[in-house]
Formats: sequence, C-alpha cells, structure tokens
Amino acid sequence: MLKPFLANGILMEKTFKVGQFYSQHKERFKLSLFTEEHTLESLIVSHEVSRPGLILCGFTKRFAYNRTLIFGETEIVYLENLSQKKLNSYIETMCSFDIPCMVVSKSLKPPELMVEVANRQKIPVLGTALGTQEFARKLSGFLEQYFTPHTFVHGSLADVYGVGLMYIGASGIGKSECVLDLVERGHRLVCDDVIHISRVGENTLVGMADEKFAHHMEIRGLGIIDIFRLFGIRAVRSRKRIEVVVELVHWKEKVAFDRTGLADRNTKILGVELPLVQVPLVSGKNITVISEVIAMNYLLKLKGYHSAKEFNRRLLEEMGQDSYIDELSE
Amino acid sequence: MPSLTAEVKIQNKLGLHARPAAMLVQTTNKFKSEILIKKNDMEVNAKSILGIMMLAAEYGSRLVLTVSGKDAEEALRAVRELFERKFDEKEKENA
Repeated sequence: MLKPFLANGILMEKTFKVGQFYSQHKERFKLSLFTEEHTLESLIVSHEVSRPGLILCGFTKRFAYNRTLIFGETEIVYLENLSQKKLNSYIETMCSFDIPCMVVSKSLKPPELMVEVANRQKIPVLGTALGTQEFARKLSGFLEQYFTPHTFVHGSLADVYGVGLMYIGASGIGKSECVLDLVERGHRLVCDDVIHISRVGENTLVGMADEKFAHHMEIRGLGIIDIFRLFGIRAVRSRKRIEVVVELVHWKEKVAFDRTGLADRNTKILGVELPLVQVPLVSGKNITVISEVIAMNYLLKLKGYHSAKEFNRRLLEEMGQDSYIDELSE
Repeated sequence: MPSLTAEVKIQNKLGLHARPAAMLVQTTNKFKSEILIKKNDMEVNAKSILGIMMLAAEYGSRLVLTVSGKDAEEALRAVRELFERKFDEKEKENA
C-alpha cells in the first residue's frame, strides 16, 4: 500500500496588528485612539474577546490577558469611583500583563492614568462609539472569521454530482486535465492548482478559489485558460465543501492498490478526517468516469450502502458463514 | 532527506508576472525535490505556474523558499540564481 497522503498544507499562523485593525476597520467599528501611535504595533493573537472582570480589583489568577479586553460603562464608572491609590495599583497590575488591545465602548473616556500606563506598557487603548454588547458581538464574529484555521493545498477541487472531490498528486500527473474533462461532462470547477482551505466549525473543510484569479487552469501545451469564459456560469462555483480526497498516483507494478474497497482510508487536513481514494494512473484509463463513480459511491455510503461490504456480506452468506458477516465486513 | 529554506527578494521591476513565473516553473520542474514558495501567509507549490502567479509577488517583495528532497541543494541554487539574474528582464521593459 502506498503511504496515505498528508496535505503539504500546514496550518498557517495568523496574527493581526492592532494598527491594521484600526486603520482598515475604523469606520465599521467606529474606532478612535487614546494611546500613542507606537502602541498600534501590538498583535492580536486570538479571536477571543472578553471583559476585564476581576483583574480590576487586582485579582490576577486566571486572568485571560491574551484576549482583546472590552471596557463598558460598568468598568469605566467603577474605575472612576476608585481612590487614586487603588486605581493606580489595579491599573499597574493589569497593564503588567501582555494585553494585545483594550477597547472602551459607548464613546466613554478611560481614566487618564489608564492611558498613561498603557502608553508606557505599549498596550493600545481604542475607543468605539458602539455599545458594549454590539461591539463585542461584532468584533468576536470578525476575529473568529479572521482567525479560522486555513491552509493552501496544491491540487484541484471540483463539484461532481454535488460531492466536493479534491484532487492531489505530483506536479504534472494530470489533475487539471481530469478536472477539465469533468467540466466538459457538466460538472463544476471550484479551483485549480491552489486550493485555499478553511475549517468551518469542527468538522467541515471548505475549499475556495482565489478571488482575483478564480476559475483559470493551466493545461500543459495550451497554457492558461479561463473556464468561466469558455464554459459559462454552469461550469464554475466559488466555494465547495471538500468531501473526498482523490490522490492520483503513478502506477507501480510492485505496489498493491486497494482491490476490495472494504477498508475505508482517511487523510487529515487541519485536523479534519476525510476519506482518501488513491487512483493509480495508466495510459488509456478514463479517470473522469472513475471520478464520477467515486462521487456516486460516496453518496451511496452516505445513504448507508457500502458496495464492497455488501458484496462481501453476500459472499459470506453464500458460503454459509453468516455468523462471521458482522466481523468480516467491518 | 535534506530540507532547506532561504529568503529571496524580487529584484526585477515587473515582479513575478507570467514570463518569469514560466521560467521559474521550468527550472523547478527539472528537480525531484518538493519546492514551496511563500509570500506573507500564502504558500504554493513552486512547480505550478498558476500558484506562483497567484502570489502576485511585486518588485521588492520577499519570498521564502522551502526545498526538500535529495536534490534540494542544486534546486535551491538554481532557483536563487534565477532571482538574482532578475529573470533576464530587459531594462527597456521597465520603461
């Protein structure tokens, strides 16, 4: 058996400079800046946002400092009512942590001391005209989308009978040609060459084409072609859930390929398991029809019908080995 | 198996457009090693011309090459050489 495929796409780490957030989304989040410009170098590293909570009474245990902290009216009024001594002590304690960003909502003004200490500790303090809940909800959704795990895989993605088939394999093995053939038969291209994959929720991978260069392919000998212009709107789609990975491999005499299909094989991308089918290539083989069968077989399995297992069940029945059916068909 | 990384800078004025991208894939495909090329948070296979062009790597941008395989050293040398000779871009093209 060939080694199962591991996506070369590694998890791409993302960070987000507060300055970038401030300059690009100033209007959307109605932002202003209290601290000096140099604090904008700070990096947001997590999608999580939270309220400061007990850190404002100097309680440092379990303080989730690596999140964006939102100060609403409650926090600001509380801080204003503290004695100068306490305020000084609590603010110093809080700002000694490496907080990525603090935001004061409802157009409120943070205490001057807070801005002073934040400047010194290089923590940006932003203001927003939005209400606390509204801002928290919007920011959380925005950051979640920004920090969603994503990667790039070299391959092609097509929608075959509604099933997302992702083709992988060595450069030049014929992934694009296979997908071109599928398009010609009425299936749809999502993207060729570079698949941008995002994990949505825990178990779903979605492949997307690059916005600017979508739906082009490179066919050896022809060069770059535009599938949308050539085949029209029915031949393309911009994103698709990835359901089966099809690895095209060179036929090797000594390598044993799966002959029964009894054991389902898997591969993992961004922590999500996907069924993997390895298809050996020999000249004259019609990979397009095989692709359609892979898609249909997947749909059958979803409906609870496993062709290989069913075949084996009948065989065992015929041989009078009914008692082994469950054991041998799993 | 050796795995090497190196940073290269785009020194030709027009950036990695179709012609230099074609030169690059012609070079990378001569080698068995896996060659990846990365700009910011996007990493693509350096043997695929579309992928390289999608990087939209403009003049002055920095790319990270990761080469792994038996011929990694030769491959990396050949690729770096291409960047250094600015993909043979002619000065008049810059006008």
